Amino acid sequence: MGVFKMAWRNVWRSRRRSLVTVAAMTVALFVEIHHTSLIDGYVAGAERNILDLEMGDVQIFAQGYRDDPSLYAMIGDEEEIIAALRTRGFGASARLLGAGLAAAGDTSAGVMLRGIDVDRDARVSAVGRHVLEGRWLDPGDPRGIVVGRKLARTLAVGPGDEVVMLTQGADGSMANDLYIVRGVLKSIGEGVDRAGVYMTEAAFRDLLVMPRGVHQIVVRRPAGMDLEAATAVVRDLAPDLDVESWTQLMPTLSSMFESLRGVMATVYFIIFMAVGIVILNAMLMSVFERIREFGVLKALGTGPGGVMKLILAESMIQTVLAVAAGCLLSIPSIWYLSVKGIDMGKIGGLSIYGIAWDPVLRFAVHASTYLGPVVALVAIVGIAVLYPALKAALIRPVEAMHHH
Amino acid sequence: MKRTSVPACALALALLALPGSCPGGDAVPDPESPEFAAYVMNRIDDQYRGERSHGVMEMHVKTVHWERTISLEAWSLGKDFSLVRILSPKKDRGTATLKAESDLFTFLAKTGKTIKITEGMMGGSWMGSHFTNDDLVKHTRLSEDYDIEKVYSGEASGTMIHRFKLVPKPDAPVVWGKIVVSVRQLDLQPLRQLFYDEDGKEVRVLKFSEHSEIEGRIVPRKMVMKPLDGSGEYTQVLWKEIDFDVDIDKGFFSVQKLKSL
Repeated sequence: MGVFKMAWRNVWRSRRRSLVTVAAMTVALFVEIHHTSLIDGYVAGAERNILDLEMGDVQIFAQGYRDDPSLYAMIGDEEEIIAALRTRGFGASARLLGAGLAAAGDTSAGVMLRGIDVDRDARVSAVGRHVLEGRWLDPGDPRGIVVGRKLARTLAVGPGDEVVMLTQGADGSMANDLYIVRGVLKSIGEGVDRAGVYMTEAAFRDLLVMPRGVHQIVVRRPAGMDLEAATAVVRDLAPDLDVESWTQLMPTLSSMFESLRGVMATVYFIIFMAVGIVILNAMLMSVFERIREFGVLKALGTGPGGVMKLILAESMIQTVLAVAAGCLLSIPSIWYLSVKGIDMGKIGGLSIYGIAWDPVLRFAVHASTYLGPVVALVAIVGIAVLYPALKAALIRPVEAMHHH
Repeated sequence: MKRTSVPACALALALLALPGSCPGGDAVPDPESPEFAAYVMNRIDDQYRGERSHGVMEMHVKTVHWERTISLEAWSLGKDFSLVRILSPKKDRGTATLKAESDLFTFLAKTGKTIKITEGMMGGSWMGSHFTNDDLVKHTRLSEDYDIEKVYSGEASGTMIHRFKLVPKPDAPVVWGKIVVSVRQLDLQPLRQLFYDEDGKEVRVLKFSEHSEIEGRIVPRKMVMKPLDGSGEYTQVLWKEIDFDVDIDKGFFSVQKLKSL
């Protein structure tokens, strides 16, 4: 009789114990596949969210701007840089940044002004699609501005309302003008929510008396290009400017993502430790139960290797069953969660480090979503079964047959 | 452009409440007596109490990036009420600031809107100058918030002066580490105030000059405020016309008036 056939029969001889073992493995695998998919989806979604709405992949500033954000720290040759980036497949759009004061009725608030090239910005940023009320900027409506959510609440304004903007022009003049709120943004991030005012580039230049130059260029890398490689390309194109990748600009956030992956590995380990103990226990029990059998097998001429093979084959059968069950059960739910996602907005919304998350949390699916947990399961079963298998293999036939 | 605030006495007195020494009737203590320092500071603090004035001044602001001159018309009633509006350049004409006790309002001629300057905007520049909004409304009294010591009496740059060192009292709500005030011996008019930060570094200097007599009062017609950060920036205020004989009362300093000017 072949080892495999014997193992198969052994597995089904003690049906209840085998089922419990297979069930433990299946549950562990199911949980791990979902856990991997969830963390991957969460990190990827959060990254995409931040990059799409706020950061881009890479940002370019004039030297010194980030230390002392002055209206005069400008990039002068932005058109050449943007054109050069585009020929290399990058997306790029320039922004003008300034500080000012917005007043409506009896209230006022300090604001961050952002002058953007509306058409070009739409290709590097998704902020224009995150309008809560009203509409996004239109280059044909230079009086129209779009404001952050909390700012709109502070000033008690909505679409159609007047806002007076007051600041100091680049020529020292008392820059002030009247604008109409075109739209109010959804939650973007703490900074934009509380103080963000978006206006067209032309309106910004007019208000702040800044005929040329920009303060920031937001860059998106071509699909598939590594972030560091992309940053290096941009640095080469703008050697005299301050070029930073988003991980350099937001180190806390990028290290938070790293640590999330670390957390995932830890949880992995803990869950599989538990599964390993269940398997160890089940296999040990099945070995001790059958000590006499093993004695007989050995007395009949089966070597230690043969016994070991038998035990390993038994656990392999159980593992294969568990992998098949775990994966088959996971496929429909992972599919659903990655396509539909979980609407966290209904649970209460997410904001971490002042960045608003996409309220719909979508799970991610890669080959590794399934492969990782499966490999981990096989490894842990292999380790857990080693001791019972060795124990059975090294048994002495005479003692074993006297065993009660 | 870096801005730090100066005590109200420096600005509200010299800028918004038109400067000019009152004909004080009280006897001046002996310069060597311990009361002298406090007397001089009290005099500076109280110099413009109850004074009514009207005038035209030119404010010249130079920064690293730009330089401009604006012409302003100002009315004041004591320290607490003042109204200043821009006459030129044309682009800003009519834009005005109203100070009524501790409230500050800005009228924007271009949009026809009045904005109340809130707490968060107090650190902002006043009309593009090196003065902050806070400088206009802050109530600091040299004689109360500082420990004063006379450190020098004698000649400096051809003028006989007294020099005082002012160190803030431990709980005084001031940002300076030290102020050195120089007044001329002749009439105890301030000539210079040198402001130090808490590390003992000179931060800015406020200079008064071109003192002249108008309607029986001594007025420094020129005031220069210069941050000492090596930038070469400054704000200079020069009085073109001053008139103390004006008929205005508290009612003049209202938001309605601000809009109708």
